[in-house]
Amino acid sequence: MTTAPSDAGSWPSNLMVDGLAVSKQATPESFDEVSEILRGANARGDAVIPFGGGTQLGLGNIPSAGDIALNLSKLDQVVIYEPDDLTISVQAGCRIDDLNGLLAEHGQMLPFEVARPQDATIGGAYATGISGPRRFGHGSMRDLVIGITAVSPSGEIARAGGMVVKNVSGYDMMRLHYGALGSMGVILQLNFKVLPKPPAQRTVVVRFGELSDAIEAALGVRESQLSPTAIVVLDEGGARAAGVDVAPWTLLLRAEGPEDAAAQQTARLREATRVGALGSDVLGDAATDALWRGANTLLSAAPEESGIGIRLGMPASQASEIAEQLLATTGGGSATRRLSLDFGNGLLFAQVGVDTEPIDELRTLWERVRTLGSHATLLTAPPDVKRDIDVFGAEPAGFGLMRALKQQFDPSGTLNRGRFIGRL
Amino acid sequence: MAQPAVVAQLEAALGRDSVLSNPSELTVYEYDGSDEALAGSHRPDVVVLPQTAQQVQQVVKIARAMGMPVTARGGGTGLAGGAIAVQGGILVALTKMDRILEINTRDRYALVEPGLINLDLSQTTSRDGYFFAPDPSSQRACTIGGNVANNSGGPHCLKYGVTVNHILGLEVVLPDGELLWVGGPSPDVPGVDLTGILVGSEGTLGIVTKAMVRLTRSPEATDVLLAAFPSIEAASSAVSAIIAAGVLPTALEMMDALTITAVESAYHAGYPRDAAAVLLIEIDGLLEVVAENTRLISVICEQQEATEVRVASTQEERDLLWLGRKAALGAMGRLAPNYYLQDTVVPRTKLPVTLQRVEEISKDYKLPVANVFHAGDGNLHPLILFDRHKPGDIERVLHAGTEMIHWCIEVGGAVSGEHGIGLEKKDFLPLVFTTEDLAAMAGLKLSFDPLQLFNPEKVFPSGFSCGEVSALRQQALAARLGIDFV
Ligand SMILES: Cc1cc2nc3c(=O)[nH]c(=O)nc-3n(C[C@H](O)[C@H](O)[C@H](O)COP(=O)(O)OP(=O)(O)OC[C@H]3O[C@@H](n4cnc5c(N)ncnc54)[C@H](O)[C@@H]3O)c2cc1C
Repeated sequence: MTTAPSDAGSWPSNLMVDGLAVSKQATPESFDEVSEILRGANARGDAVIPFGGGTQLGLGNIPSAGDIALNLSKLDQVVIYEPDDLTISVQAGCRIDDLNGLLAEHGQMLPFEVARPQDATIGGAYATGISGPRRFGHGSMRDLVIGITAVSPSGEIARAGGMVVKNVSGYDMMRLHYGALGSMGVILQLNFKVLPKPPAQRTVVVRFGELSDAIEAALGVRESQLSPTAIVVLDEGGARAAGVDVAPWTLLLRAEGPEDAAAQQTARLREATRVGALGSDVLGDAATDALWRGANTLLSAAPEESGIGIRLGMPASQASEIAEQLLATTGGGSATRRLSLDFGNGLLFAQVGVDTEPIDELRTLWERVRTLGSHATLLTAPPDVKRDIDVFGAEPAGFGLMRALKQQFDPSGTLNRGRFIGRL
Repeated sequence: MAQPAVVAQLEAALGRDSVLSNPSELTVYEYDGSDEALAGSHRPDVVVLPQTAQQVQQVVKIARAMGMPVTARGGGTGLAGGAIAVQGGILVALTKMDRILEINTRDRYALVEPGLINLDLSQTTSRDGYFFAPDPSSQRACTIGGNVANNSGGPHCLKYGVTVNHILGLEVVLPDGELLWVGGPSPDVPGVDLTGILVGSEGTLGIVTKAMVRLTRSPEATDVLLAAFPSIEAASSAVSAIIAAGVLPTALEMMDALTITAVESAYHAGYPRDAAAVLLIEIDGLLEVVAENTRLISVICEQQEATEVRVASTQEERDLLWLGRKAALGAMGRLAPNYYLQDTVVPRTKLPVTLQRVEEISKDYKLPVANVFHAGDGNLHPLILFDRHKPGDIERVLHAGTEMIHWCIEVGGAVSGEHGIGLEKKDFLPLVFTTEDLAAMAGLKLSFDPLQLFNPEKVFPSGFSCGEVSALRQQALAARLGIDFV
């Protein structure tokens, strides 16, 4: 028998998930402890809600039960880091900023963007599958993952992939857990290929009066042979979040590479986006980091009391049409609206707050926008808005398969009961 | 031989011309690109050549009703026996479904049928300045469906990533006969990442009938460097040094002396015949970046004792250098009647010791080994040269290959980097994965294909039964935790 599970231990605080108080909390310090906690819960029929930094707990349908909050933040070790191989293996509870701090010592990075990288854990980010605009240039977690260790609700620990950058040995179990909200297993460890940190970076900030001009410029850059690593258009609220001078519309272009190349690309990007622009600035290295940290707060899926966060997917060429429709729909709430159009990847992030009669208006808003693009996720909303709706939008093609997978990997519905798509 | 009733049903669904059941017609479908003496061969009962997704769906429904196994096949270039119908049954050859249905450069995707030849896609889209990044060396003959099934790589995957990074959505026929679209033009479709799960599943979970693939913008500048080295060690140290320096080339390929000899006698690609190894390095991107990185990489190669660093400046020169690389496997016939190709992959810092070990194994077994591989990824392709008709050769080849795999796994590597597990590598999987690991994988298989009719006996080791996994995993868990289950 290994060490006694801490699931009988202390329960410091109640975790709240969509208004549901989870009375017990377990904070395991080893994989075997996680395994035992889960096995026990699974046998008893308890519902377990795993969490890391707790920064994205707003994502998901309202849980149908929550008996144990499984806190993974103590599993935060870097297990293997081989800078010369450009690979790393980290436990799920490792915080994204901490990880990048370590990598930076070796001139490397993992270009993952989340709303609160100082608190968010790698496992939580992987399970929620929300990615920022920089994936256009560097890829997302889905692209850079090379291995996984996950534990099933009945306690079996299974690995897949490995520590090499290219690998087709066996099924890619990493895929099952990406964006699955921890409903198919608890992620314990992830392996990634890391990237060399570009020696220099700049951001070109171009201000526009008209959305159509900003979008034309963004699409023009996307089609050119220039290679910005992120292409984003922000509304006024978005610009405020990013901490740049507020204009009706702001185009952000990130340029990364060797010092001279970044400088020259910056000049070319400015030249390419002149038409219709009110003016432009170039931000240097440190300012670039700060700007994107601010802009990425729009990716937030943190629990919300007074507004909603939405992610829409669409082909980039349809972004302008969809943005116009969204604006028409959210017109009244524009004072509290924050919008980010990720042109590189074909995603739109919107945060909307409403002051009067909030609940009904927010529900109506979601109903109106959720069919605009090719997919929609209500990233966060007050529990009253979420009631009776599926925050993952319409039932997707292949839902039957997803149900079969849930049945196979979590037959008792122990993990995140009711929270995933279709209330799986 | 297929039962006449099955053939009749298939002919009714697809038309006579699209159903092959004469033994003589079936012969070419017994093998794939793997060496039959090593991977084996098997004759399917019947081969169908559907022209639409609906026909594939009908075939699967007929197979299901008859309890017959179904194996998908694209170009048949697979090197792990993946497309061999080991249990007979119906072989679905997708080669007639080879159309490009849509090219959308604004949104950077193409919608294609699975039987489309990989190179045909990039040749078509290059007119508009776009390409499909996965470029297996077999790209003149392999299909997009096969690329998806094997999650194939290729020289340019060092920078651009492998097939899974370039598949946006798929239309598939599932083992229960359902026709399904997964994924789409923008990423992170809510729900389980079924697209990601299907890519690399080697035809065991679904048959791809359409693929929405990402198109990549052609770079404005490209340099190709040829660096010659006096020893394999020097060349592999140069690879490690380039990776560690943080300048990631687009492609970083190595060829040893034996390969150079074969390629030069067949194609006159201009590789220096006296070199012990050459690196073929491609750098692309913005003009300024390419110039800077070409300079940096040349310096690193020179520091690692390169005797010559040549930069191909014209398209013709670049094409010629690449031709030698892409046709290297085909040139091996100049050296020996047969070759056995391993596809192991190691952490990149382990390349120098691994290549030494490969050389030792070659000496121990008295079998020449040619190396031509994706060095930047750490993905080796030792080609063990032999003559199938020489008594004892096959046994020695198998032993030598097994030793190489063992070594690579010992230094932290994997069984296959890009060719897949199929039939030929499946018994090596337990070297890297435990019963619990394999049981979780079996969970995927059972969720998609509970009757296990799609591409049977592939990927999972012999004797491992997907059906009995729950018992196996309980045993494994009990052993690990030292507990008994009641
Ligand atoms: C000379 C040579 C060089 C090669 N170089 C490379 C290389 O650089 N990189 C690399 O990764 N590979 C390489 N390969 C291996 C091989 O070409 C690839 O694996 C290729 O993707 C297989 O495609 P195919 O169409 O020939 O598939 P096949 O061999 O016909 O089938 C391969 C697998 O895919 C399945 N399959 C085929 N079509 C479908 C479909 N529509 N739906 C579902 N499953 C399907 C089959 O069942 C089988 O399991 C090389 C092979 C040769 C002979």
